[in-house]
Amino acid sequence: MSQPAIYAEHLSKHFRSNEALKDMSFSVPTGSIYGLLGPNGAGKTTTIKILMNLLTANSGRAEVLGYPSHKLNWRGFRKIGYVSENQILPEEMSVTELLAYLKPFYPNWDAKLCGELLAQLDLPADRKLKNLSRGMKMKAALLSSLVFRPELLVLDEPFSGLDPVVREDFTRGLLGSVVDSNGTVFMSSQDVEEVERLCDWIGIMKPGHLLISEPLDQLLRRFRRIEITLASGETPKIDWGQDIVQAERSGTTVNLVHQQFAGAATLKELQERFPHASTTEDFPMTLREIYLAVARVRTT
Amino acid sequence: MLSFNVQIKPGSPAYEQVVYAVQKALITGRLKPGDRFPSVRQLSQELRINPNTAHKIVAHLTAERLLQVEPGIGTVVQKLPAGSSQDKSVLLNKDLERLVVGAKRLSLGLSEVTRALEKHWEKIS
Repeated sequence: MSQPAIYAEHLSKHFRSNEALKDMSFSVPTGSIYGLLGPNGAGKTTTIKILMNLLTANSGRAEVLGYPSHKLNWRGFRKIGYVSENQILPEEMSVTELLAYLKPFYPNWDAKLCGELLAQLDLPADRKLKNLSRGMKMKAALLSSLVFRPELLVLDEPFSGLDPVVREDFTRGLLGSVVDSNGTVFMSSQDVEEVERLCDWIGIMKPGHLLISEPLDQLLRRFRRIEITLASGETPKIDWGQDIVQAERSGTTVNLVHQQFAGAATLKELQERFPHASTTEDFPMTLREIYLAVARVRTT
Repeated sequence: MLSFNVQIKPGSPAYEQVVYAVQKALITGRLKPGDRFPSVRQLSQELRINPNTAHKIVAHLTAERLLQVEPGIGTVVQKLPAGSSQDKSVLLNKDLERLVVGAKRLSLGLSEVTRALEKHWEKIS
């Protein structure tokens, strides 16, 4: 396997007594679109800031495109596009002026792509940034991060607060560029549906911890909601074990979330546990359902 | 705009949903042999799906011989190839068995199932 675009090992970060990240390890394969999900305050932005050398971890280490993150400098940033939710832009400049200002820093600047993106993203080239809407500013920031064909694009909450039209323009621009440059994307988001469509690798955080980091396909395959209808009167006591992350019972129906579903073998095992069950059915879960099941159960 | 219709729903792989939509479009005639099929780039952008997924879709349909890459033209929709005897056997035994089990579990009668089957058959031709 080729070197991952991002590699993090045992990252920890605290702000005074507040532990923002605890022993976080993961890697982002080159060529993937990795979506990091988690509630506000889970540590998504802290993770990104450590990777982008805007914060220093208290322990652990990370590599970004082969560079140790705490040594990442202009040389690395010629290959990395970074767009954050609260991007600070030179407000007095127009989009054109911003692009002209940035161009000399990037040997790979693609003027043709720049023109295409300006049209595709529907950006007014001559208006000052301070007079642009939030969505427009995000698009301007994306544009300035795509034109030098970065090997890695890091997006912190790219969709939050964007209206549907801007969001569509934004994702089109992003996807087109990923196809053309065969780049890697690492994004944090609260938008589970968008992440399920766009990403092929998923990370799920609860405050301070990374609970899950794996390919989306695998996640959708191994999580399954299972509905068991019990014979009335049956009240089995069950040791749920590791594989069942959630169990609810109402009347004669038991609803489980199984995290190591393996088809017929799992169903057989459950039938043995519930010998009097009249039916056992399994249902696929959306990423949203998986996210909620994981976040609820393990956050205590 | 894509020449076939698909609304991707969360919960099952987008890959399977799009492959199915293309197969259906070929059978209903929305996609015709000789039509240009969208590139990975277009597919990814129009459906707003991961490019690796779009790539897998095109590769799968090409392996099924529903698409073929023609040099200088692009990816072109092919005539429906005759199904293999193995595919036919899977459909007539396994898939139909599953339908029968499902129907019996819901206490549906054979005539109800046949009527519904005929309706679908007519709708898709």
